[in-house]
Amino acid sequence: METRSDLRTEELLINMGPQHPSTHGVLRLVLTIDGERVVQAVPHIGYLHSSMEKIAEAKTYRQYMPFADRYDYLNAMGNELAYVRAVEKLCGIEVTPRCEYIRVIMAEMNRIASHLVYFGTLGLDTGSWSPFLYCFREREAIIQLFEDTSGQRLLYHYFRIGGLRNDLPSHFCDKLAEFLDYFPARINEYNDLLTNNIIFQRRMQGIGYLSPELCRRYSVTGPNIRGAGIPYDIRRVVGYSVYPELEFDIPTRPEGDAYARHLVRVEEMRQSVRILKQCLEKLPEGEINVKVPRRLKPVVGEVYERVESPRGELACYLISDGSEKPWRLHWRAPSFYNLQVLPELLKGAYVADTVAILGSIDIVLPDVDR
Amino acid sequence: MDAGLDMRTTGTKSDDSILSILRLIVQGIVSIAKSHWVTLVNFWRPTVCERYPHKDKSLDYKPGPGYKGDFALITDKEKGRLRCIACQSCERACPNHCIRVVPAGKGKDRYPAEFYIDVGLCMNCEICVEVCPVDALTMTPDYECSVHDPRDLIRNIKQLTERGMEFDEVSRVR
Repeated sequence: METRSDLRTEELLINMGPQHPSTHGVLRLVLTIDGERVVQAVPHIGYLHSSMEKIAEAKTYRQYMPFADRYDYLNAMGNELAYVRAVEKLCGIEVTPRCEYIRVIMAEMNRIASHLVYFGTLGLDTGSWSPFLYCFREREAIIQLFEDTSGQRLLYHYFRIGGLRNDLPSHFCDKLAEFLDYFPARINEYNDLLTNNIIFQRRMQGIGYLSPELCRRYSVTGPNIRGAGIPYDIRRVVGYSVYPELEFDIPTRPEGDAYARHLVRVEEMRQSVRILKQCLEKLPEGEINVKVPRRLKPVVGEVYERVESPRGELACYLISDGSEKPWRLHWRAPSFYNLQVLPELLKGAYVADTVAILGSIDIVLPDVDR
Repeated sequence: MDAGLDMRTTGTKSDDSILSILRLIVQGIVSIAKSHWVTLVNFWRPTVCERYPHKDKSLDYKPGPGYKGDFALITDKEKGRLRCIACQSCERACPNHCIRVVPAGKGKDRYPAEFYIDVGLCMNCEICVEVCPVDALTMTPDYECSVHDPRDLIRNIKQLTERGMEFDEVSRVR
């Protein structure tokens, strides 16, 4: 066998995306693979860039509100919360207690909806079709409540500077309480279907290992850092809005692999249910809007307001030059920071695990590109 | 590259003794049986999907009041004219510049000669409805706006008035 010495292997460069069904949008990954293993992965972003930050400079503070919904479309209420809190801090507006509670209810409902989409699409990534359909059925209940309240199903524009669009509809509290009663049982069902399924466990355990050190270096936040064992949650660290008055746990897992991140998200849905139940009990009566001047002109200055989105630390940085329009707006989008760590996670992983790891860090591409 | 291999083996991989393999097989069968049980339970639950648009028209879904659908101009039925005073507040407030109002008449008799809304550009933020000083413009629960020609998406004053006939007040959440 003289030819054996002539045989050689070489690394192969393959493109994954941008039109790949499992990249959750249009993400292009350039993978250098050696056989079945990834040697290097380079994510190319920017395919969904829509100048969300530049648009703000041409719009008034009120006009920008509907744009805030549009970049992380799975967490529209959370984005509105970040933006509206930043503007209110800049203008020194205090909102009423009822308004604060309704805002938290909306943000937590949206957190459940977002995690349900995550759960379903992770199932799709790992080759399981049923969880996707069941998760979307439960999400539909939340979306229906959003529709009744804000008039839209995905991009709500429900929060206003100094208040809300309208009060809750009359049937809202009963419908939400009903949902909260049956939803924890449904989470158990999903766990039987996907989380406790031995095929899924084997698939997810031990891949995409994220160490606490790596989290700190790349400024990873959200369920990803909690999956690495660090209880870092803006709701607790900053304690914005009415969160200090509510009781909830910060779920963490020490393992740091894709399965740990998955378990953290499942547990977060339960905690959101707990928060929502308390909010419904404590929901005060009263006004929802405070008086805000028609032409909003904040003082010269800058604010940085952080909230916890389902994907991590979401922050809005606003600079005002005293005019009706912001001088500069910057989003600290959690998906962008979480995506940075992907090349480290993919190093040495199987090509087949790439989509599972990408699914487990839960990015939303418009949030990355803005 | 070996690091990845190690991670995979440090999971719940058990040793190769015959007993642990048997245990794994039983575990696998139980977990997969549970998964199938869930799908079986869900098989008997009511269907939530609709075959839109091939649905039964009698089950037609109608969103509640306050839905941000297609636009309408409200007519003041006592005076027999549109409420709109053509102040162009909506035109100035629209973030996407999709409204165009052509005013006519002077003083109290000011009225819109033309009123265009490009629904294709509109992002349903409802700012125009909020800034209206006389509550003349409303968004309706009509959500079926699809057309074959994008030019048909531009609503004119005739269409807006016609749709507004069934509204006495701005459609709001109750």
